[in-house]
Amino acid sequence: MNWTNRGDNNADLDALFGAYRDACPDPDASANFMPELWRRIEERQRSVFFLGRWARALVTAAAVLSLGMAAYLYIPHGSSSLFSVESYVEALAAGHTQDAPELPPAADEL
Amino acid sequence: MLVDFEIIKRAQAGDAAAFNEIVLAYRKRTLGTIARLISRPEDVEDVGQEVFLRLYFSLDQLRTAEVFEPWLYRLTVNAAYDYLRKHRRRMESRMSDLSEQQVVLADAMAGGRVDHEVRQRRQIAEAVDAMLSAVSEADRILLTLKEVEGLSLKELEKIYRVKENALKVRLFRARQRVLKAFGEAGHEPSAKGAAKAEI
Repeated sequence: MNWTNRGDNNADLDALFGAYRDACPDPDASANFMPELWRRIEERQRSVFFLGRWARALVTAAAVLSLGMAAYLYIPHGSSSLFSVESYVEALAAGHTQDAPELPPAADEL
Repeated sequence: MLVDFEIIKRAQAGDAAAFNEIVLAYRKRTLGTIARLISRPEDVEDVGQEVFLRLYFSLDQLRTAEVFEPWLYRLTVNAAYDYLRKHRRRMESRMSDLSEQQVVLADAMAGGRVDHEVRQRRQIAEAVDAMLSAVSEADRILLTLKEVEGLSLKELEKIYRVKENALKVRLFRARQRVLKAFGEAGHEPSAKGAAKAEI
């Protein structure tokens, strides 16, 4: 066949597809089709059910954890208070007491 | 429609008997479509069950009776497409499978165990299968639905949710690719011979 001849080729292709349709009739299902289908449906339902339970448990745990963390952040802690009452200068001075140079004694002390 | 919408509604409500009725009504046609889409008789039932499994779990999304059949076709196409993609490697090694099959067939023919008609059918199926294996899964499915299943452009429009003009372009290109791939592979004598033998 000359495949450069498009018109012929298309007609041949149509004929081949038509013959294929006739050569492949609708098959009959086996006796096992319906029981196997229902087995697969039930299996999928079970896995969906377990997945749902896991998802719900996970969401509950996440919610409890979030509430716990929020409560922890909200309640002020004595020693490590988040809000300092000291001024900036006081805080700076407190942090640099060791680094401050030792001053020479005053003249009247000598 | 092969079933009343009432039955579909009952199935949507969880009535197993109604769902069985739907499966029994559409099973043969669906299996036939799958058989021609995937060309693997041994896997047709498996893919068919996957189609009805997907139907079962998505039935509640169906709102009107008119869309049921295109929707079932879409599920069939998607399941066949998934199968073809998953089995691409197996399909690529088809040549070795085929030669083995051909040896068995030749043996059977020599022993007179396969009659003429069966032999012809098998030749045609093999020729078309080899031809469609040369193009993508999407081209294969689209061409099979249009040319073998005989679906109209309107029906394909509903299945693919694509405009008719776009479908025409895709069909034309798919046909060209089939013709080109087949011509390049130099397989045409067997295909034409197979078609001629049947016609």
